[in-house]
Amino acid sequence: MKVAVAGKGGSGKTTIAGTLARILAQGEHSVLAIDADPNPNLAVNLGIDAETAARIESVPLSFTHHAKDADGNYSVGMDISPEEIVSRYGTPAPDGVTLLLVGRVEAHQAGAG
Amino acid sequence: MRGILEHLHSSDTLVTVTDMEAGLEHLKRGTLEHAETLLIVVEPYFKSLEAAGRIAELARGLGVPGLYAVANKVRSERDEAAIRDYCAGHDLPVVAVVPFDDDVAEAERLGQAVLDTAPAALAVDRVRALAGRLLANDLPQPMGRVAD
Repeated sequence: MKVAVAGKGGSGKTTIAGTLARILAQGEHSVLAIDADPNPNLAVNLGIDAETAARIESVPLSFTHHAKDADGNYSVGMDISPEEIVSRYGTPAPDGVTLLLVGRVEAHQAGAG
Repeated sequence: MRGILEHLHSSDTLVTVTDMEAGLEHLKRGTLEHAETLLIVVEPYFKSLEAAGRIAELARGLGVPGLYAVANKVRSERDEAAIRDYCAGHDLPVVAVVPFDDDVAEAERLGQAVLDTAPAALAVDRVRALAGRLLANDLPQPMGRVAD
């Protein structure tokens, strides 16, 4: 199951996403919560304390490589499996949710991504 | 970032819940690739409804199979009716109605999860019902009923 939550800023999308992720995990599903917002705050809505949340490392974009096929179409490839990304960069959250940050814009890489 | 999201969404084994970037600019960068279900959180006021309509239009163009609205911060029947009317006109089934809830506002003030501060909150209850529908595959099928 792949669910994405969108909405205008301030709509409460992060609260809905965080609450939904934990409830799905309570049903014994192994849930990956992905924060794709450049200004990430899903951690807090998942119940991770602010101090831990501030230290979470975003998945580096350096795993991505761009390739061009015979027809000239570009594709994005990854040098690491999804499971490996989760085990390396995931942060445990309550109810067995794992949180992954993929969108944080770091000061030194603003404009990337 | 698109590559990473696409990659994670391509895994067969993972249940993922992705909190997308606010707004819709990112959709053009392919951030919804492989997402099966898009929940568009909408508040009962014009600009929020309009934004939801544009997000739905873009996502539909990208071929996301399941597009749904989640009504949030609903304070009255009028609020709910406004959201249902707009969404019905945009072929966007409303799959949950989450009331405005002081327990949520208080959790936000504290910087905590509402599930930890007020697990019995009505808003939590509505999200729980939505989770149940997702797990039971009990959402309106694409191109099916306009509203539920």
